Amino acid sequence: MTAMSNPTNADSPRCIELKIDSYAENLAPTRRAVEAFALGCGFDETSQGEIGLCANEALANVLRHAYGGATGRPIAIRLEKMPDGIRIAIRDWGNRLNPMTLAPRDQDPLRPGGIGLICLRELMDEIAFHPQTDGMILTMIRRKQASRRRGRRNRDCG
Amino acid sequence: MSERTIRTNLISSVRKNGDALVASIIGEVDLGNSPVLRAALMDLIARHAPKKLILNLRHVQYMDSSAIAVLVEAVRKVGKPGQVALTDLQPRVKGLLEIARLDTIFQITGTEQEALEK
Repeated sequence: MTAMSNPTNADSPRCIELKIDSYAENLAPTRRAVEAFALGCGFDETSQGEIGLCANEALANVLRHAYGGATGRPIAIRLEKMPDGIRIAIRDWGNRLNPMTLAPRDQDPLRPGGIGLICLRELMDEIAFHPQTDGMILTMIRRKQASRRRGRRNRDCG
Repeated sequence: MSERTIRTNLISSVRKNGDALVASIIGEVDLGNSPVLRAALMDLIARHAPKKLILNLRHVQYMDSSAIAVLVEAVRKVGKPGQVALTDLQPRVKGLLEIARLDTIFQITGTEQEALEK
């Protein structure tokens, strides 16, 4: 994992860009980097964990679906501090599949699917998939003020 | 009893208690290592055919959806909802189960003993 930061001060960078390859082993260190950045944004421990989980699930979806399990493909992650929260952008060069356009899975709890997307919807304030000519950018925003609307106001920009 | 055909550092101990099999999982589980956990758990279930599987998650600080999918598969292999108990859940793991609305297919207890008595 390589990182480039654009710090406004030594302790709390305004934004960080991470570049990883599509190996599952890269998920944990990337999640921890996201959680550490969220700490710098002023989120509490629970929120950091939720933000890290969402990053993990979004990246896992890239590995499994956008890249179909292919390893060694590039992923770029941009973490940006906002006045009231954090913005995460995940860029892949995969199959341009927008998971929000897929038909909902059946409700059999013994055959769950789409848990990652459920996490994003429940735990982020905004999520949007932006198709590119050669892949996809997912943006996620989480605000510090707890939102009762979280999970119900996400939109699809695809 | 402490034997495992498929060895993994993710399962720190296994013991039988009557018809129940009690296993302790340890570490962080995500897409990077959940296939290993899956193989080990399915192997345990196949070899012991427990009527109840109790998984102690005290030392699991983090799980993602791929790990949850492994636990759900364990429910299908053991039999039906309620025959797999998850004990000593850390807040992050419990939170994920609640978000995924899967907390109803497991028996969730505070301790192994509670799970054994239910």
